[in-house]
Amino acid sequence: MPGLLHRFLALDRRWIFLLVLLSVAGPIIFPVGLPVTVTESTQKSFDYIEALKPGDIVWLSFDYGPSSAPENDPMAEAFLRQCLLKKVRVVVTALYPLGGLGLANQCLARITAEYPDAKYGVDYINLGYKDGATAVMRRLGDDISAAFPTDVSGRPLSEFPIMRGLKSIRDVKLVFTAATGLIGEYWITQVHSQIGTPVIIGPTAVSAPKYYAFINSGQLVGMLGGMKGAAEYELLLSRGHPELASLYRSTKGFTATKGMDGQTVLHGFILLFIVLGNIAFFQERAKKARA
Amino acid sequence: MHFVGFGTWLAALLTLFAFSFLYKDNPFFRFAESLFAGVSLGYYVGITLNQTLLPNLVDPMVQDFGHNWDLVVPGLLGLMLYVRAVPKIGWVSRYALAIFVAYYIGVDFTRRIQGEVLPQIARTMLPLSSLQATTLVSLIFIVGVYSVLVYFFFSKEQNAVTKPLARLGIWFLMISFGAAFGFTVMGRVALLIGRLNFLILNWIYPTIGLQ
Repeated sequence: MPGLLHRFLALDRRWIFLLVLLSVAGPIIFPVGLPVTVTESTQKSFDYIEALKPGDIVWLSFDYGPSSAPENDPMAEAFLRQCLLKKVRVVVTALYPLGGLGLANQCLARITAEYPDAKYGVDYINLGYKDGATAVMRRLGDDISAAFPTDVSGRPLSEFPIMRGLKSIRDVKLVFTAATGLIGEYWITQVHSQIGTPVIIGPTAVSAPKYYAFINSGQLVGMLGGMKGAAEYELLLSRGHPELASLYRSTKGFTATKGMDGQTVLHGFILLFIVLGNIAFFQERAKKARA
Repeated sequence: MHFVGFGTWLAALLTLFAFSFLYKDNPFFRFAESLFAGVSLGYYVGITLNQTLLPNLVDPMVQDFGHNWDLVVPGLLGLMLYVRAVPKIGWVSRYALAIFVAYYIGVDFTRRIQGEVLPQIARTMLPLSSLQATTLVSLIFIVGVYSVLVYFFFSKEQNAVTKPLARLGIWFLMISFGAAFGFTVMGRVALLIGRLNFLILNWIYPTIGLQ
């Protein structure tokens, strides 16, 4: 056994890469359907949106790029589905420079195709991308049309019924930001703290730990932490809306719930590696101490 | 065999080029890396031009200069940044830079104080007077915050009281680093899942006629 552990420490790491590949690819080819448990921060986010009334306006900001799309895409899609299903109107923006707008366009195209009754300019609108996140948010607090004079295709905002009566971001019921990096934090520390608009964040898992401090201080309504948070939200949507349950069951597209199989299997292997690595490390240290 | 588009093949091959680095560094990886950097920069320039500069600066001035003449000021400030390329008058760019820095300090100062410092300090002021289920949690929270603060206090040599406190602070830090590490692993695995999902379901399966 000690010899085996010693060989484990000296193992070429490319074998570990191969094992990682197999443990993630396996559940994609043969889905397992492992259970997902719901955390409090996701439940609070879901309940808040469920309590909104038809006609209310919410703000959805695509503050991420393709590099974190597997985590953030399912959150944005689930949020948009819930809003359109409940007839809550959605204003879409993108503040992340590298691909935020492209992902917003794709997500809107995918989800609005599922809701043919939802009309552009009435039930939802895409204001496009704007550079300089903090400066944009500052302007949104005073005048939305100063920050976004036109929609994504260059038409003035005054042409759209959804924008009538919507002067500043304080007029929306909620901001949902699917975010990577710092832009999500700006929505909390600038828009919520200075204007008062409630914020829900869907960060990448890497950023998630720091947002617990904002949940504890009451600056966030809730959070969907990484792919796990998105999978929890899909579960809540499926439980709350049977029509979405059948959609999530039948879709051949990527969902966070499907991704969690690979996460669970690989995390099992990582835990095993950590335990074996530690045993080998302490044995090595004891051997040196004896010598 | 089903038809798989050129874009899918290109994305699949570039993904494999990127993954090939895991075996060892090679020209395919270098090509994918350089292509990604170039395309990202080009995209950034294009989208900033079309979505920010044109609708917020150029179009308003062209359509109604009388009402939007004040946009000349930020436009000039932006242009001033580029005179760095001319060494003789490069100093001009510093004025534009100074204004940008001052603006963002002004915006960020309020944001940091009002949005981070004050609410987070307020959160550490927890009531311990009554014995409730949450009192123990509050106590752990307070001990954690203050022991970590003691650990980061380097202006005075640690004594018999502060040394064990700082040691406790290290434990709290290690627990938070562990949580951050766990989330980071989950985030990176999610990206791998996204790529493998694309390779298997959008490229391999349609190519061999499974979907």
